[in-house]
Amino acid sequence: MTTEENAFGELIQDYIVECLPLAEQVGDAFVQLERRWQEGDAGDELLAPLKGRLHTIKGNSAMMGLDSPQSVAHALEDVCALLHADPARRNDEAAALLIRGSGLLIELVRTAVQKPNPRPAAQFVKVVRTFLDRRRSGRGATKRTGLLLERRRTDRPSPEQVAEAGDSSSSVVRVDFRRLDAMLEVLGEGMIEQAAVAELYRGLARKMGVTNELADLDRALTSLQKTLKRLEGIVMETRLLPVSAVFDRFPRLVRELAQARQKRVQVVTSGGDIPLDKAVLDRLSEPLVHLITNSVVHGIESADERGRGGKPAEGTLGLRASSESGRVVIRLSDDGRGLDDSKILAKARSLGLEIPADTAQLHSLIFLPGFSTADRVSSLAGRGIGLDVVANTVHELGGTIEVESRPGRGVTFTLNLPLTLAILRSLIVEVDRERYAVPLSHVAATVRNEVDMIHQVNQKGVALWRGDLIHVSDGGALLGTGSASSFRRFYVVISMGNRRRGILVDRLIGHQDIVVKSLDPTLGRPEVISGTTILGDGKVACILDTARILDQRMSA
Amino acid sequence: MSATPARSGADALLQFADELQQQSSSAEAPSVGPELHLVTFALDREEFGIPIGQVREVTRVTEITRVPQARRHVRGVTNLRGRILAVVEIRSRMGLSPAEITPRSRVVVVGIHDRTLGILVDGVSQVVKLPVSTVAPAPEEVLSASADYITGVARWNSRLIILLDLEKLLLLPD
Repeated sequence: MTTEENAFGELIQDYIVECLPLAEQVGDAFVQLERRWQEGDAGDELLAPLKGRLHTIKGNSAMMGLDSPQSVAHALEDVCALLHADPARRNDEAAALLIRGSGLLIELVRTAVQKPNPRPAAQFVKVVRTFLDRRRSGRGATKRTGLLLERRRTDRPSPEQVAEAGDSSSSVVRVDFRRLDAMLEVLGEGMIEQAAVAELYRGLARKMGVTNELADLDRALTSLQKTLKRLEGIVMETRLLPVSAVFDRFPRLVRELAQARQKRVQVVTSGGDIPLDKAVLDRLSEPLVHLITNSVVHGIESADERGRGGKPAEGTLGLRASSESGRVVIRLSDDGRGLDDSKILAKARSLGLEIPADTAQLHSLIFLPGFSTADRVSSLAGRGIGLDVVANTVHELGGTIEVESRPGRGVTFTLNLPLTLAILRSLIVEVDRERYAVPLSHVAATVRNEVDMIHQVNQKGVALWRGDLIHVSDGGALLGTGSASSFRRFYVVISMGNRRRGILVDRLIGHQDIVVKSLDPTLGRPEVISGTTILGDGKVACILDTARILDQRMSA
Repeated sequence: MSATPARSGADALLQFADELQQQSSSAEAPSVGPELHLVTFALDREEFGIPIGQVREVTRVTEITRVPQARRHVRGVTNLRGRILAVVEIRSRMGLSPAEITPRSRVVVVGIHDRTLGILVDGVSQVVKLPVSTVAPAPEEVLSASADYITGVARWNSRLIILLDLEKLLLLPD
């Protein structure tokens, strides 16, 4: 009995994994179709592939004995078939019906594990029947045959579907993501072990000089390293998903949010094909939902207000992904009213914060705990979480978030994220005989420190670097090694966006690909450290949280 | 990498216990009534005991890496066969000064709920079985609110073993 239940449990997970994206694609297509129809475009090429997707959902639902999603998918299929045959009925009413149905379908698929309430599905099917009947009474029998034929045809996979399915059966395998995690973990161990053997080799070479045998060993090690590197590339590739996997869900969300507030908002996305590690993507969705909700609910004005301000009645929400020097940058912008500086000032004063003179710094206050919740909560926008939670999640992913606001013109949030969480190209440095890994993507330069290079301004180290003055802090003080030194031999310039900072270190040990191990909660929540790793000699080193160190809010 | 061959923690512990048993064969008590199965270790001059069920293994101290801004009682992290293990110093939780690491120092790897962590101890550990009847509550004068992690004191074979509640000792905020 239990095994049966388990098998079913896994099957139902498979069902959700397969059908949920399909249902979401269908929902998005309906939202797009609504717009196209309003613009007088028939949107045939959008409508055509929907039948196959709905049919797959219907078939899989039937297989699992899930009546509700099956009947909803079936009803949507019928509506699509009708609209396909009769372009005259492609109007707002039809679009609203389709969008409502797809919302219901997504919900039913998502919650397939639970026993669903059959009422909503039954109600929807009834509404669809009325919709279809109205048409039927108005038209002749030929179209009806068409519908019947259509229905019969759907009992068997359509040629397009066969093509789609053929693709998946021949070369695509579905793998539990945990297996990919495990693969990466083992690969990481392999890389550490390779580094350990390389370390042993160097010890031997120092002791005995490079003999022929040792030279062979060196070559074998180099070749092993290259192979592992290639393997890493392949493993990482299997973990990548296009950003659109998350982006695709937003047009529908925005539509719902906007409609509930009698607003009109269009979503413009670009860079959906930019790849990102699934582990990053999964955790990115919630912060993005929060930011988008904020924009639609608070940022973008009502049509009236926009009209008075000389803006188009319809607001625009931009979601743009791009790839920038090994990292992924996501920009979320709206053309709404922008941040309210006076409100931020008032809030900052009430919290007893120091008021920054610079507008950009003033705006970055909204990411502080307790800042954005009070005024901006609404049932949809808030769920009680503030922008500080968003910023925290982004930081935990090793990323940064910045906000730029122009009064009356809108707000842009810029998220700068690592491509992956697992393997980090790093610079290994030493401070007071402790070794640390600095993510290479944040290292702008390493500088040999000379006497009189670093000046003290307001008790803070300042150096001239590439024509600019940058703050240089002591690595020992930053990391609490117990000795603050005014002189160390090097400093590492870390940078991200327009933020830069120097950190004094004693030695630069070299570049290394490290396998990131997350911080054990037993350790507490250190601010300067984002994780740990095992180095070639088997010892543990901490990874500097460069994103957080670069954050203006952190002094020292 | 660690030179220790991979073997299960329990094996290592049992072998270790066997060695100790051979050293002091008098350590076996006549079994009467319910017994406590403990791993004991030394901190300063006192002997402490924790239930053997919570102990995964006992290892020698390899290098422990300090973690900046970690909680006060955290000594650092160490590499336990490719896994990163947080090592806590219960001495500071007990108001003792931090330990010097000596060749006798050990890390007792314990599992509490789903967490695995290491406890740095001064002396060689031992596995003992002793009758529950030897355990008495600790004298009230030595207990305070902050010492509620002491569950009792066992007097056994002219030894005094202080019994610890690891959950209370380790999972508290500092």
